[in-house]
Amino acid sequence: MTVYSFYIFDRHAECIYKRRWLPRPTSVGGKPQTQAGLGQTVRAGDDDAKLVFGTVFSLRNMVRKLGGEEDNFVSYTTSQYKLHYYETPTNIKFVMLTDLKSPSMRIALQQIYINLFVEYVVKNPLSPVEHPGGVGVNNELFEGSLEQFVRDQATFR
Amino acid sequence: MSILNLPLEFTGAPHNCGRHSPQNTFSSSHAQLSIMTVFSLIIINKAGGLIYQREFQPGLRKLSTNDYLVLAGTFHGVHAITRTITPRLPLQNTASPVVASPGTNAPTTSGYSYPNPGVPASGLEYLETEKFRLTCFQTLTGTKFLLFTDPMTGSVETVMNKIYELYADYVMKNPFYQLEMPVRCEAFDRHLAAWLRGRT
Repeated sequence: MTVYSFYIFDRHAECIYKRRWLPRPTSVGGKPQTQAGLGQTVRAGDDDAKLVFGTVFSLRNMVRKLGGEEDNFVSYTTSQYKLHYYETPTNIKFVMLTDLKSPSMRIALQQIYINLFVEYVVKNPLSPVEHPGGVGVNNELFEGSLEQFVRDQATFR
Repeated sequence: MSILNLPLEFTGAPHNCGRHSPQNTFSSSHAQLSIMTVFSLIIINKAGGLIYQREFQPGLRKLSTNDYLVLAGTFHGVHAITRTITPRLPLQNTASPVVASPGTNAPTTSGYSYPNPGVPASGLEYLETEKFRLTCFQTLTGTKFLLFTDPMTGSVETVMNKIYELYADYVMKNPFYQLEMPVRCEAFDRHLAAWLRGRT
């Protein structure tokens, strides 16, 4: 399983965290350069996050209209990738793009929220209540643990 | 033509069911078939307009006609966006584009490939929620078929293929049907209902 990217949106529709993983190089000259391309924080500026938010927001509203207020959309699949979605009761949205072979990541996203986001961001006394521009989310502990979590998901499934 | 086809349709349906399920395990296979619940079908033309909407079984909330039109338009836009946010994998070095390019229409000049090379990037194909499963099939001409089924439903492909076949037979071959306009073909309605009733 490969994880392509991961986004967190707050309740003001702002992207407060974005991370993209480049795939591991597949046997380029047999060099073991696994760590080099893995885990690079992408500069803000390209509007990928805005498109992802728009998609997720529209689909969520569509699903709620058809399935009732308590219905939630879990994932969607195209011919190239799979998008997983999890929304907390406080309207924080977690989105993850993976390859097609991945199982349902709903539990994994929930785990990221409970074990990483709440522990390292919400309980951090130095982090603000809101996170405009990603302030408070991009701390070392959260990023490191997320990195580790995604790597575990990718190898042990 | 439709009169000639009608008896064939009716004899054809049980045959199809029989092929999937041997006679001795009829009760279990019947239970398996009854899981297949098709809630509704929506057809969207290539401009994003709603041209057909029909509910087969209750399960989803009913919307007003206006809401269905908005839904069709929204989905049309979202479908296009889901294609554009396909992850692009940068090619490792300058020697590899030759390896990554065959059969794709991914632009290789800018040095990236799609995750699934060989398959053109498509928009949303399956959407899963807690209550239903949406399957979207886009024809080569851009018409989209949206099928809402139970989340437990197995292969929607056969249902989708049959619906497309019926659409081709009774809508596209109808000399009075105007392209891109709402579908008002009685034969299509009748055959669709009959076929789905035979399956579910």
